[in-house]
Amino acid sequence: MPAKRKASSNVRGGTKIGRDSAASTPGPATPRSIGSSSDEYSDAEPSESEKENIKKNINTFSVENYKAKQKSHAVAGGMDSASHHFGANDFSYLSLKPDHDNRPLWIDPHKGRIILESFSPLATHAQDFLTTIAEPLSRPVFLHEYALTPHSLYAAVSVGLDPKDIINVLDRLSKIPVPENIRKFITSCTHSYGKVKLVLKDTKHYIESSDPEMLQRLLKDEVIGPLRVQGTEEITSASAPKMAGLVIPGTKNFAGVQQAQPEGTKPKEGEPVQQEDIVATLNEDDDDDEDADAVHHFEISDGAVEKVQKRCLGLGLPVLEEYDFRNDSRNANLDIDLKPSAQIRHYQEKSLSKMFGNGRAKSGIIVLPCGAGKTLVGITAACTIKKGVIILCTSSMSVIQWRQEFLKWSNINPSDIAIFTSDNKDKFARNTGIIVTSYSMVAQRGKRSYDSQKMMDFIQSREWGLMILDEVHVVPANMFRNVTSAIKTHSKLGLTATLLREDDKISDLNFLIGPKLYEANWMELAEQGHIARVQCAEVWCPMTTEFYSEYLRHSAKKKQLIWTMNPRKFQACQFLIDYHEKRGDKIIVFADNIYALKAYATKLNKAFIYGETGNAERMRILENFQHNDKINTLFLSKIGDTSLDLPEATCLIQISSHYGSRRQEAQRLGRILRAKRRNDEGFNAFFYSLVSKDTQEMYFSSKRQAFLVDQGYAFKVITHLQGIEELPNLAFSTPSERRELLQNVLIANDADIDDDDKGDDMFHMMDGKSKAKAKKKANARRTAGALSELAGGQDMAYVEQNKSKNKELKRKKGEHNPFFKKLQRDQEKRRKALDE
Amino acid sequence: MSVSSLASFEYLEGLPGTTFRRLYLQPSTALAIFRRMLPHLAKTFVMAMLYMTKPIPLTDLDLWVHPNSKRQPTEALSLLSRLHIVHITARTRDDPQVVSLTKAFGSSLRLALTGGGDHQSFGVPSSDSTTADVDLNFLDDYAQMQWEGILHFVVSSVGEGMRQGGQGPTAAVKQLLESGNLVTRARHSGGGITQAGFSFLLQEANAQVWTLLLLWIKNAEKMEMDSVDVLSFLFMLGSLELGRAYSTTTLTASQKQMITYLVDFGLVYIPPSTKNQFFPTRLATTLTSDATALRSVAAGFDAAHTNASAMKGFIIIETNYRIYAYTTSPLQIAVLSLFTKLTTRYPNMVSGRITRESIYRAISHGITSDQVISYLSTHAHPQLLKASAAQGGGPVLPPTVVDQIRLWQIENERMKATSGFFFKEFENQKEYDACAKYADEVGVLVWKSDAKRMFFVSRVEQLRDYIKSRKMK
Repeated sequence: MPAKRKASSNVRGGTKIGRDSAASTPGPATPRSIGSSSDEYSDAEPSESEKENIKKNINTFSVENYKAKQKSHAVAGGMDSASHHFGANDFSYLSLKPDHDNRPLWIDPHKGRIILESFSPLATHAQDFLTTIAEPLSRPVFLHEYALTPHSLYAAVSVGLDPKDIINVLDRLSKIPVPENIRKFITSCTHSYGKVKLVLKDTKHYIESSDPEMLQRLLKDEVIGPLRVQGTEEITSASAPKMAGLVIPGTKNFAGVQQAQPEGTKPKEGEPVQQEDIVATLNEDDDDDEDADAVHHFEISDGAVEKVQKRCLGLGLPVLEEYDFRNDSRNANLDIDLKPSAQIRHYQEKSLSKMFGNGRAKSGIIVLPCGAGKTLVGITAACTIKKGVIILCTSSMSVIQWRQEFLKWSNINPSDIAIFTSDNKDKFARNTGIIVTSYSMVAQRGKRSYDSQKMMDFIQSREWGLMILDEVHVVPANMFRNVTSAIKTHSKLGLTATLLREDDKISDLNFLIGPKLYEANWMELAEQGHIARVQCAEVWCPMTTEFYSEYLRHSAKKKQLIWTMNPRKFQACQFLIDYHEKRGDKIIVFADNIYALKAYATKLNKAFIYGETGNAERMRILENFQHNDKINTLFLSKIGDTSLDLPEATCLIQISSHYGSRRQEAQRLGRILRAKRRNDEGFNAFFYSLVSKDTQEMYFSSKRQAFLVDQGYAFKVITHLQGIEELPNLAFSTPSERRELLQNVLIANDADIDDDDKGDDMFHMMDGKSKAKAKKKANARRTAGALSELAGGQDMAYVEQNKSKNKELKRKKGEHNPFFKKLQRDQEKRRKALDE
Repeated sequence: MSVSSLASFEYLEGLPGTTFRRLYLQPSTALAIFRRMLPHLAKTFVMAMLYMTKPIPLTDLDLWVHPNSKRQPTEALSLLSRLHIVHITARTRDDPQVVSLTKAFGSSLRLALTGGGDHQSFGVPSSDSTTADVDLNFLDDYAQMQWEGILHFVVSSVGEGMRQGGQGPTAAVKQLLESGNLVTRARHSGGGITQAGFSFLLQEANAQVWTLLLLWIKNAEKMEMDSVDVLSFLFMLGSLELGRAYSTTTLTASQKQMITYLVDFGLVYIPPSTKNQFFPTRLATTLTSDATALRSVAAGFDAAHTNASAMKGFIIIETNYRIYAYTTSPLQIAVLSLFTKLTTRYPNMVSGRITRESIYRAISHGITSDQVISYLSTHAHPQLLKASAAQGGGPVLPPTVVDQIRLWQIENERMKATSGFFFKEFENQKEYDACAKYADEVGVLVWKSDAKRMFFVSRVEQLRDYIKSRKMK
């Protein structure tokens, strides 16, 4: 094994070994699985030693390395005429168990893929088990696919599963005996993972392990050895912690139901015993093991933590971070509890039980669909730990939302929860509390204002019990490292809906924060009514001939604008808005392209928000959208993609988007998943994606949908909107109007198009570099042309300057009822009087 | 309904009257046609007229049917006359129309029903000692093996078929398939299966057998075999008893020649030890049974196969375009591979994906999206059926996938050709206006250009008369 590791790390691009070679087929393709489609981007941004390390580590533990020498076996065995379709993936030689009909799993010995029959009676239990040990790849109606990966096994170990048990249960559920190499893969992955833990105890970092030999090995290591705090005993022993007594607030245990089981598995009554014991016995086994275990640890200095982590990663022994918060007497306890009215849902409970599995807080990531209550999970975690908490969000808007949620769900004293943004730099009143801030505030380098510098110093000087990272998928590894190195925290909880990126960086998070602790099934939650049911549709808008011929002529950037501004698309958008407003839906329209956003919104006379919209104006527009029944449509740029909580929205139309980003698609869908009306009888939210036919957009669109399609969403293709011709005032219905639009689009200069919203995605922020570049370009331009051109004699286009709906909203605000006006005047007078 | 709608029987209907007269000389043929090809009403008519000595007036026939359903007896009678079973006198001034069974058919059917005569058209059981190991199971296995061999050859493209060596069907069969345009050797279209071939695969076993046999008969005419001889032999086979040995000695020369081909098809088994015996298999004995018996072919195979699920629905298709097929049969897998990208094979299941490319590939072979969809829905897994029933009988396949498959096909069919007639160079505007207006009124107008005074119609008959009548004036 070590030899193999070496080999694969020497070769650049070794990451690709054994992956789907068909991944880079050009042209539109059907949605692919997560596993394969992320490959295309994997070679973006290479080297940097840690990344290499991580990659090396990933390679070491890919299933492919455990591929047994079974080829010969396959050739000798049942080859038949159909075998050539499958190449190396013909596993028909595997023997079926005699009672295979009753077992729900198949296991692919090469790739570690697992297929689950969801209609099998054992499926629900198998599903619980598989989400723990494997990555869900696709979960539509009948057959689900999972993949065993080192990360998923890492996560399984971190919640306390034993390799022996994993294999046993797999074997019990599988139609075919668990292949030998999969066994080996599981054992060796779990053997090296999670054996070493990094524990913060009384503000001292300890390396802890239940295996003394492991510690000896680390101590002898040339890097780690010297980092041990000298003068302490070599290795000390203590008994391992247990879940016993820890109760997560809001769970059923908390409500008074005494139950000894550590994990939230509650076998339903009346089900056959044989089924329920699969998971339950597992848990009991864990208990027994842990009771008997003694752990050993040695201390390391605070500054060495990252070095040790890095080194351990190199050794293939990633350290697991745990926080024994109940025995932490140094940090003051925070007076916080969930309000009695807050009842957390079963999947939230399950995810938290994974986090607090053994009575300590583990670092990790919880993946829940948008609108399924990630915030509440974070709040409950904070209420369980009851120490100082720091919360990082993506924008100042969501900072405010987080604070409001905290006040809504917990009994925390409002003075104990402070926000740290550019406008607001409070501290909490007492010795401990909660700070809500944004990534950019904390990670900002270079000069700061005096206030924020002081605030930063304060944050850095303290020790925090928990760090909650909202929308963790947007954080690049570098920034994340800055954040974590600056702030001392005992445990980290990442929250996201879409743990996927078009580049490979998502796997970095596995090591930098912790394993994925839980991932919910979207379809299941939709069925149970926790998130809204959604009808997805892709509307194909044919290009008009004029637009298509221009499309073919222009550069890539302009092409994008042309397909977005396609008049047929505009008409479709207008039609859909009209149709849904009449139904009483609240509609959000997403456009990545600011030029298009403004053009659409002004033409249709709707309110819009984009990056440059001021905070006050944003709030005003959002409030109007929520409460004013005259404002039913809102145009949003990229900034609306994440963490914007608009439970009123029930319909979503997407007119332009960020290439093939599956995450954006899922995040946008998330905006309507929390629809207030979701539990109404027969309620459906609507998600329309408008694409211009025969353009590249089609290809991107199918890529974008891949994630959602694998979650079981079905995109219906609409080629013609019934009744669109009858719509009164249909925009661009005459050829001359269309030509005019085309002229406008063509003269829109590059600067306008470039005006791409940066949104909240910090990956696309380049430290203001792009802005600087854009500014530099704005100097005199020399062009050849006739005088008549200057006079407007040629194709000078008329630009319609509709008044923005935004401003209308503003004006409305001024028109107060005379009574309130009077009230206001009185107030002002009084204030003046006070001042004097 | 009987199977008269089957395309293969169009061949029979196209035969000249003399052929029918000769065919009906064999009682077995008369019986087979009667059993297999006639709808119930036609059967009733035939039975009623069978023992009538005199022709009966057509008006009497009308009394037998409900006055409200005029259509059915007319249809039945027209079918009967097309098959030369009844003879209807022409309409004249003085005599009313009368109807009677044709002589040959009547006497043969009477003979078949009552027995007697020494026509031997129901085969001659062999008096030789039968080989002990030829039982029903053996015959079913044999028929299945031969037939699947042929299907498999059709599925796997020609080149790959060769790779199997001796496994495939005999060279004569291959040639037959090729001349029937079920497979093609042409490299430019990717070789292998054609659209006709795929439709062939989608048919039920019995229909497949007939398709192939008719192909063979057409070929046989080229080999100067008597098609009447051949057909009546086939009809005879249909009335034989499964599992019984028959003698080859009474067969005509061309029938003897034919039997070697039937062995290739798996319709007949000749034990190597006793060359003058033959056993009809289930494929042969169900040749002339009606629709209910068709299913018994499948049922019979099921029994032989023990793996009951093999013939039932076995395909699950998901909204994410993944396809899972519970099958072990190389044939099924090969069919699937025509339009899916197969990825992994487990002992009792294969998984794959429907992609744009895989559908394109199928389309380039001439397989249509509708064929793919109908294949998927006829073989849909019980779970899919259950789910659709739970939704109150919704669609079996995920509608988005079905739409997408259709759209993939349409994507490359931007041009639509309409055959028809082009009118131009009208003498004056009035002439043009009138004609164009008339064409529009009768609903044949496809395109017109007022400026150029020309238009295009899909049908010409009415318009031609109209123009003529205008000219007359």
